[in-house]
Amino acid sequence: MAFPLPRGVTASEIAFLAEMETVTIVPRQRLEGLELLGGPIEPLVPPRRASLPLWLALLLKRQRRANIIPPTWLHPEPLALILEVESQHQDYKNAFSPPPPLPGQPSILDRDALPSARPQYTPDGNRYYAAPPFLHQNTAQTVASSRDPPSLPFHWVEVGNLLLDAASDDLVDPDQIRRLLKDLREVRMAKMRSGVDVLDAAATGGGGVALTGVGSMELGEDRGFITGVVDGLRRIGSSKEQARREQMAEQRANGGYDGTQDDDEEEDYMEF
Amino acid sequence: MSYYDIDSILTDAQKLPCTFELEVPGLGILEGNAGEDIKAGTRIDLPLWLGEMLSIGARLGTSRLVTLDMPEALSERVMNALKADPRTLDLRALAPHFYNLSERILELFEEEEMVDVLGDAFKKRAADIADHAHNSRGAVGGGVDFLRGLDETERQLFRVAHDRAKDMRIWTGEAKRK
Repeated sequence: MAFPLPRGVTASEIAFLAEMETVTIVPRQRLEGLELLGGPIEPLVPPRRASLPLWLALLLKRQRRANIIPPTWLHPEPLALILEVESQHQDYKNAFSPPPPLPGQPSILDRDALPSARPQYTPDGNRYYAAPPFLHQNTAQTVASSRDPPSLPFHWVEVGNLLLDAASDDLVDPDQIRRLLKDLREVRMAKMRSGVDVLDAAATGGGGVALTGVGSMELGEDRGFITGVVDGLRRIGSSKEQARREQMAEQRANGGYDGTQDDDEEEDYMEF
Repeated sequence: MSYYDIDSILTDAQKLPCTFELEVPGLGILEGNAGEDIKAGTRIDLPLWLGEMLSIGARLGTSRLVTLDMPEALSERVMNALKADPRTLDLRALAPHFYNLSERILELFEEEEMVDVLGDAFKKRAADIADHAHNSRGAVGGGVDFLRGLDETERQLFRVAHDRAKDMRIWTGEAKRK
């Protein structure tokens, strides 16, 4: 191995990316507004709550100049609820608990509602749809309606661990939270492992495997393994795939000129 | 698979049983007696790259020089064992590059069933590899034998999964950086 670093994104790099997440703090000291590349920071006036990027919040916390208000999901009760859904609920035996709804996405409680994406606008007037880390999934005041069940945001492992490390005195019952996070990770890792059975769907043409609700750290951890398995399955099945394509081409060549093209296409789909 | 891929080169060197259909003068060196002729009907184990080349006439429809046989590693016996329980088989003893070899063989032979058996075996073994890779205590009990029997593709999988799990543990502070 010539290149000493492992391929892909390492755990500390993922954690670095997670520090873009916005969290809520209560400042203890006044601080003037900052003009950061990621956007301006409003002046901090105690005891008014403010939203800051996680890295700045952690810095202020370490200097004892602010207290971090834990995100809504990082409390024992919501975590216990999610853990119960993950481990007991029949619908989620092999699936991950749903991620927090995107802006405009209907709550999972009313399934019939149609999504209505709400665009946001940049200072230049360009339209965009916000995605993590620009959604406020880790702030104390939730954007989603309160009747939504609690859900784990994309960066739950990183934010949870960083806050437990740096700001455990701001959390409610940190030991219980630490235990719950560990249990959640283990339950979801077991699901990831049993998911190997469906990976051949991703190796065949046109197939795919849903990874909705999987956190970024979990993805980063399993990326190498999953792509390795899918690639191995694809290579073993490549001769079969080749034969299938040749057969399809042959069929097309045999009946292609007198029959219509549409009929042929239909025949091909029947074979899947 | 790139030109410089060492695993691909080593796969090329794996032996394949070949039967000569024609008498070839002066090729006795393959059999170990240099200078002699090779008789028609002689069975010799040739490296995959050579066997593939010599048998190419068979695919072009002209008179073939050699016919290829299934290597021992992919015989009926092995396939039955894989069908019964993929986890107990020592693939490394059969062929160090078992899956790479079977991939090449499947390009040469039409074996629909073998594709399914191998795919299924790979999947089942991959799940076990993930279990062992996430085990922080390393291989314990029966795991040692299983891990010793991994072929090169599976070893790479194990290494990736294990390194990632370790990286994760270091980041959360459960393990010390060495």
